Amino acid sequence: MRRPTYERAYAAALRLLPEAFRERFADEMLDFAARRLHDARRRGSLAALAERVRLAGDLALTICRERAAEWKQPHADLPPRDNMDIFLQDLRFGIRGLLRRPAFSIVAAVTIALGIGANTAIFSVVNAVLIRPLPYREPDRLALIWGTQGQTHQQGVVYADYVDWRTRTHSFSELGAFRGQSVTLTGGDSPERLIGDFVSASFLRVIDLKMSQGRAFTDAETEVATKAPVAVVSYDAWQNRFGGDRNMLGKPITLNGTTFTVIGITTPHPEVPLGVPDVMMPIGYYPNAHGLDRGVRGIAVAARIKSGVSYDAAQRDLSTVMSQLEQEYPATNASTSAELISLREYLVGGVRESLMIILAAVGVVLLIACANVANLQLARGAARARELSVRAALGAGRRRLAQQLLTESVLLSLVGGALGVILAIAIRKTLATLITPQLPVNEPDIRLDMPVLLFALGVSMVTGLLFGLAPAWKASRTDITEMLRSRIGGGLRQGITRSTLVVVQLALSLVLLATAGLLTRSLQALQRVDPGFDGDNLLTAQFRLPVAKYDSPVKIWAMFERTVAELRAIPGVEGAALVRASPLSQNGESYPVVLEGQQPVKVGDAPMMQINSVTPGYFATMHIPVLSGRDFAAADRGDAPHVMVVNKSFAERTWPGQSAIGKRIQFGNEGWWTVVGVVGDAKHYTLNEAQLLQGYVAHAQRPQVFTSIVVRTKGNPTDFARAVREAVWRVDRDQPIWRFRSMDEDLSGVVQSKKTMMWLTGLFALVALLVAVVGVYGVLSYTVAQRTQEVGIRIALGADAARVRRMVIGDGLRLVAVAVVVGLALSIGAGRFLRNQLFGIPATDTLTFVAVTVVLGGVALLACYIPARRASRVDPLVALRMD
Amino acid sequence: MTPRDPASQLPLTPAVLHILLALAGGERHGYAIAGEVDETTSGSIRMGPGTLYGSIQRMLGAALIEEVSPKRARDDDERRRYYRLTAFGRRVLELELQRLDRVVRVARRKHLLGDAGVL
Repeated sequence: MRRPTYERAYAAALRLLPEAFRERFADEMLDFAARRLHDARRRGSLAALAERVRLAGDLALTICRERAAEWKQPHADLPPRDNMDIFLQDLRFGIRGLLRRPAFSIVAAVTIALGIGANTAIFSVVNAVLIRPLPYREPDRLALIWGTQGQTHQQGVVYADYVDWRTRTHSFSELGAFRGQSVTLTGGDSPERLIGDFVSASFLRVIDLKMSQGRAFTDAETEVATKAPVAVVSYDAWQNRFGGDRNMLGKPITLNGTTFTVIGITTPHPEVPLGVPDVMMPIGYYPNAHGLDRGVRGIAVAARIKSGVSYDAAQRDLSTVMSQLEQEYPATNASTSAELISLREYLVGGVRESLMIILAAVGVVLLIACANVANLQLARGAARARELSVRAALGAGRRRLAQQLLTESVLLSLVGGALGVILAIAIRKTLATLITPQLPVNEPDIRLDMPVLLFALGVSMVTGLLFGLAPAWKASRTDITEMLRSRIGGGLRQGITRSTLVVVQLALSLVLLATAGLLTRSLQALQRVDPGFDGDNLLTAQFRLPVAKYDSPVKIWAMFERTVAELRAIPGVEGAALVRASPLSQNGESYPVVLEGQQPVKVGDAPMMQINSVTPGYFATMHIPVLSGRDFAAADRGDAPHVMVVNKSFAERTWPGQSAIGKRIQFGNEGWWTVVGVVGDAKHYTLNEAQLLQGYVAHAQRPQVFTSIVVRTKGNPTDFARAVREAVWRVDRDQPIWRFRSMDEDLSGVVQSKKTMMWLTGLFALVALLVAVVGVYGVLSYTVAQRTQEVGIRIALGADAARVRRMVIGDGLRLVAVAVVVGLALSIGAGRFLRNQLFGIPATDTLTFVAVTVVLGGVALLACYIPARRASRVDPLVALRMD
Repeated sequence: MTPRDPASQLPLTPAVLHILLALAGGERHGYAIAGEVDETTSGSIRMGPGTLYGSIQRMLGAALIEEVSPKRARDDDERRRYYRLTAFGRRVLELELQRLDRVVRVARRKHLLGDAGVL
């Protein structure tokens, strides 16, 4: 007879009851339920429904109640039947074991959570920067090509060379040229500055840029000969700058004085290497007059390597073609070549090492945390031994015991790991906001996605195995009966294991302290670097004159001269000047120089000089000392003899022992310049650069449309931004100015990433030290407890308190001494990896090592003190009576 | 076997009390016990199979009741098990009823409880 559905379901649900209860009562319960239902059906369908609900609730409650009751009792009556059962039973033992010792479980779980949480957080950063593929199609095939001139690398590419590469190389499926530059948008209420990119149509294909409306450029439109005044606007610019204009396509916009027709709008948030521009124009409209000439390094090149071709093969191809060009164009291409660098490497290469160091440091913290938990486990030796012996008496072999302990450890570790992940999620936003300014990713890129979670899971399991290994191994080797018989369990052997763990913790802490110390000293050294100019109360800004409007050097210089006058007239301004490339702006040009009377030198071997154009008064404004000769004057105009001011390093290197005044130099193809002054050295791109050879010329004698403003202010420089803007507008109302920055903002920005690294490693070192010191305290307390009898005898025999204290502290110091030796050895080894991050100090800086040793020793000594005092207070009568 | 102190089982939960009362009238099986409890409490204690057998299990553990060997020939289903009071259980029931009686007498003396039995 087929039972009704409900009863079949009820019977199935009965299987959820614990085994013993089920075997006893399931049949009766089913019968009971059937009868109830039968009676209820006779009373009506509503009653039957109500009865069904009641029965279901009653069963659910019973299952919960019986299962809960079962947890509380040891349940060894049913032997496990297969591996799954064994595992489940071990799991149950593990859970029960952890619940039974809440103090230990919570402390251990929290310790692990901190370790795994920190590692997961850091790994999410590493994943975002180093591991996750770049958001382009086939990102491994993408590369950038830079030019090299002699020994100098990462230079721009010559457009003419790029054109030749298109026909002569065979390793690339696509080559694209691009040049980013600000452009001025006019036609609205006030002139606006847009971020522009002059590109070839092929560039859009290289990076797979798609349009949400309209179309991309055709090849013909971007070629120099057949260029067309069309432009592509980015989605964000369309929304933000053009107000999401419905009629954007086909609309004319005026950029740098030329009218372009908008033919396409990109998809939202496109990926463009080196930044998303607001507007793209054909490279044929290159903004500088000679920018596309042979020999002028005006563009950058992005390439897509053909599949099946290796990087090396592509590089060789490129080098071969460059050699050919060197032969064909000796005047312009002597000693030039090109280098291929994968896009990923270009974007992240600089930060890879720092990130790896931080990841290693946080890994060390986790190791120390593991050692701590292992020690915590060993500390419970006594109770554990009894529990294990009971299990052994119930039939568990040594291997099974070890398995159970390991399962418990991994379980604990997984719980800690889960908590750690929650911690990592909680701090994600803060960490990402703090750290992304120095990284080539954005804040939303740092997230806890699948690879990061898998990492957390893997680390949790490894952690569990690591700290579970010691107790599990011991359990598998110790004789149970001996365990039952021994006193505080383990005795000497356990003491050695615990001491070893603490030594490991202390040594690792020393390594972290040393690392943090080295980074701190390095940062201090960097901050002490004299930039060569005074960065306080200095405001900088930049602007570019539209070529169409300022089409002669006379007009450019007139504008500049009036601008400087207006700037100087602002109340509160102590000095103002214009300079082509202000320090730390990452603008700048270098040229190989030729000295008068010098042997003709191969272009590649000539010294490179950084050339900058300035207005008179620049050096005074920047507080750069004029060491000999003079500054530029009003008389140094376009028609006057060309004069130059060089920096101290150049003068001393080139004309040692002589005066540099009167010497003549040639650079580029711009004739001879006579040195009229020598000024102090100044840093230009960054603080820890080797001093550049610098030459300054008068803006009046080398006018260019792009320049920067420097203003020395009384008081907070950024307060003057508006006044500066208005001053320029008094000269030309349509001129946009941008990038207002105070110099000390830029100066501190240089050290920012180093500071972040220093703070992070410092934090880890502190945490590690704390944990290790608690470990020392724990071990010494344990030792003291072990030796209470011995101490009691000594006191009874006349040893005074001080002597006992010394004995205990001596034990502690022995641990610390070993740890210091090991730690210093490891630190010296680790120093090798730090070398690139350090500035001004060697990787084995004695002061740092001595300082951290003293700190570690001192703190460890303090940790010894309390157990020592406790030992000295032992009552010999009590101690001797202990059994 | 150490005799357990019946007083240690007091006070009884309502469910246990009524199960004992039901069994005081003779051997019963589970369904019948639940039915009788339902009746005598006028529906205020209505046990489902789970709650009933959970209580029965605990009462078996406390030796208040025992299973009757099912070899008795009955016209009911073979699967059904019958339960009866143990001597211990009987003693415990006695003590609990005495306790309750004492409480009622105090209430009567204080005129809190009329002869009708309700306030």
